[in-house]
Amino acid sequence: MSNLNTKATANNTYDAIVVGSGISGGWAAKELTEKGLKVLLLERGRNIEHIKDYTTATKKPWEFEHRGRITEAQKEAHPVQKRDYPYSEFNESYWVNDHDCPYTEIKRFDWYRGFHVGGKSLMWGRQSYRFSDLNFEDNLKDGHGVDWPIRYKDIAPWYDYVEKFAGISGQVEGWPALPDGQFLPPMEMNCVEKDVKKRIEDKWKKSRIMTIGRTANLTVPHGGRGSCQYRNLCSRGCPFGAYFSTQSSTLPAAVATGNLTLRPFSLVNTIIYDKETKKAKGVVVIDSETKETIEYFAKIVFVNGSTLGSTFLLLNSTSAEFPDGLGNGSGQLGHNLMDHHFRCGASGRAEGFDDKYTYGRRANGIYIPRYRNMGNDKRDYVRGFGYQGGASRGNWHADVAEMAFGAEFKDQMTTPGAWNMGLGGFGESLPYFENRVYIDKSKKDKWGQPVLAIDCEFKDNEQKMRVDMMNDAAEMLEASGIKDVKTYDNGSAPGMAIHEMGTARMGHDPKTSVLNKWNQMHEVKNVFVTDGSCMTSAACQNPSLTYMALTARACDFAVSELKKGNI
Amino acid sequence: MGGALSATTIGVFLDSCNSPSTKTNGKLFDDNQLKLITEVADIIIPTTSSPGAKAAGVGPFIALMVKDCYPEDAQKAFVKGLDALEEQSKDQFKKSFLEISPAERTQLLSKLREETIAATKAEQDKQKEADAQKTDPDKAKSQTENAGFASILPKDKPKTEPRFFSIIRDLTLLGYFTSEIGATKAMAYVDIPGRYDGCVDLKPGQKVWA
Repeated sequence: MSNLNTKATANNTYDAIVVGSGISGGWAAKELTEKGLKVLLLERGRNIEHIKDYTTATKKPWEFEHRGRITEAQKEAHPVQKRDYPYSEFNESYWVNDHDCPYTEIKRFDWYRGFHVGGKSLMWGRQSYRFSDLNFEDNLKDGHGVDWPIRYKDIAPWYDYVEKFAGISGQVEGWPALPDGQFLPPMEMNCVEKDVKKRIEDKWKKSRIMTIGRTANLTVPHGGRGSCQYRNLCSRGCPFGAYFSTQSSTLPAAVATGNLTLRPFSLVNTIIYDKETKKAKGVVVIDSETKETIEYFAKIVFVNGSTLGSTFLLLNSTSAEFPDGLGNGSGQLGHNLMDHHFRCGASGRAEGFDDKYTYGRRANGIYIPRYRNMGNDKRDYVRGFGYQGGASRGNWHADVAEMAFGAEFKDQMTTPGAWNMGLGGFGESLPYFENRVYIDKSKKDKWGQPVLAIDCEFKDNEQKMRVDMMNDAAEMLEASGIKDVKTYDNGSAPGMAIHEMGTARMGHDPKTSVLNKWNQMHEVKNVFVTDGSCMTSAACQNPSLTYMALTARACDFAVSELKKGNI
Repeated sequence: MGGALSATTIGVFLDSCNSPSTKTNGKLFDDNQLKLITEVADIIIPTTSSPGAKAAGVGPFIALMVKDCYPEDAQKAFVKGLDALEEQSKDQFKKSFLEISPAERTQLLSKLREETIAATKAEQDKQKEADAQKTDPDKAKSQTENAGFASILPKDKPKTEPRFFSIIRDLTLLGYFTSEIGATKAMAYVDIPGRYDGCVDLKPGQKVWA
């Protein structure tokens, strides 16, 4: 028997295990395999093969039975996913069945999840912005959360590195709070956006700028992948490989090394801690199809199971040494959960462009980076917000009567109507200790695991910020000559922005943080956590690009430490 | 009047709605009702320089959508409204809706439209009044607004009465403009644009992009 066990252990042993195959896990697999490590990439869900399995990607609108809407039966199986627009018939199979993987909402938290190879890298919004020192210094300056253990200079070369591979299109602006990157050519603004940009930048003398969205969509062929075809159907999976995803980008690179083993249907239940070496020695996997339990072993473990997925795994990995979760001597694991708050801004009608139109469906908008609480600007809240938005010309006509029908109405509906320009804020939320997750043993998921309880809310600082988010949008639009400007605040629940961050934060001090400046667990040196859970603050920029850069940086450090025999 | 459910309709409801598991196979509408839906849709989006809703197959689409994508109360309101429209036609024109002229059909739907606008407005006014009377914000909390910082959380949309005309109009527009005929003949559809031009001259007769 012991011989068999030894053989099984040898067969199940790799240099590195990566938990999760989404944006950051795909990067970990690529970097570690390219550095010569034998890597086991574990994914809890099914495989989705690039192009072949994008079953809706080339369907025309009329080829969808419900034209994008979801059925009552689907709503019943997806009580959380159905709360907002991302869950639709167009990519229905990419979202979890909420009954299989329940969680406890102490307060409302909308948890969007996709269990499959590629994770949310298939459905993500692709907006890709660097953090700046403004963001890395905010915690230290205003005392919320702990100080980031890194500064912009530490991560800048890694932003360069990941941008060059991923392919980010954008415009160089020379705006210090939103550093420029290694950009592919920018997408074009339409004529209304160009006019609004000029007027905003003139009026505020470039203390506010508007730029085209920086997006992980290729504007020229790049790295063997095709350029964007302007179909605006990205979230179904792109048959041209024209946006960054695990499938289009990092996975093929990892596979090409010959060093990768990808195992779908592998739900990592716990990380095994070895008290002799004070390191992790492997993981326990539940085969999510057969529910069989299997152990895998490795010298290092990268945890990339999504912010709350990773933190659940760490909390669930208890031992005599770590009764409250792996590497949780600080007691910070599960705490300081953040998300962006949004759905707040203004829009109106642009005049003077009735003779102009657009061609193609641009899967991108414009971006106004943060300008609040910078320099001499001081508000009654801390931090700030950026805007996403854009102008478009659809078939909306002001003179269409309510509930109109008939021939004349049909003619109006098929004729280009008014131009509309909108700005929607994305605001930073603070890392509140009491916004937290913990294990709830009163429920079990489909695989017999306990579930996560989520206790998170936006507070006073976020609420005050929203007043500016709404009024500034209206002010900028009015200053740009936009007519009939209307403000809106549709409310925002944590989770809705799908930018959940924190719960295993980086920091200088093992007493107040879970990870060090290399995303390495302070207390378990061969475990690295490089997804959104590592974030010490949220800034207001879309965070995925930062996960990519932190992951590549951590992989470089981990392999160098491994070679030195330090881990 | 004509608000009563016809015997066949009730039968269909008993078959389809009381056992949701068989819903996808069950039928919500009989052939006559399907014809009615089709003709109503074709008044909402008629044939002009491009074919209308009937040619685009919107009738069967609406029937499918009401069956698959609407809760039971909306399904009931829809069937009730459809039957009421037929009754109205018989009262006023002594004929089925299927036998009256397009002008007469338009007349009936115009009346229904006005009633629907009025009823919707009355409901909204009532809702506003109820909101204004709410002084304790805690009372506004619902299942999804449980104990959070309620002033930032999205408010649940107030439950509104499902109305036949609103539903059939919505579904006609959705079904028509996403149909092959609607998207390619009434609007302009390009499957793979291949590029983005942010500022082109609007050409005479240019249709809106689908």
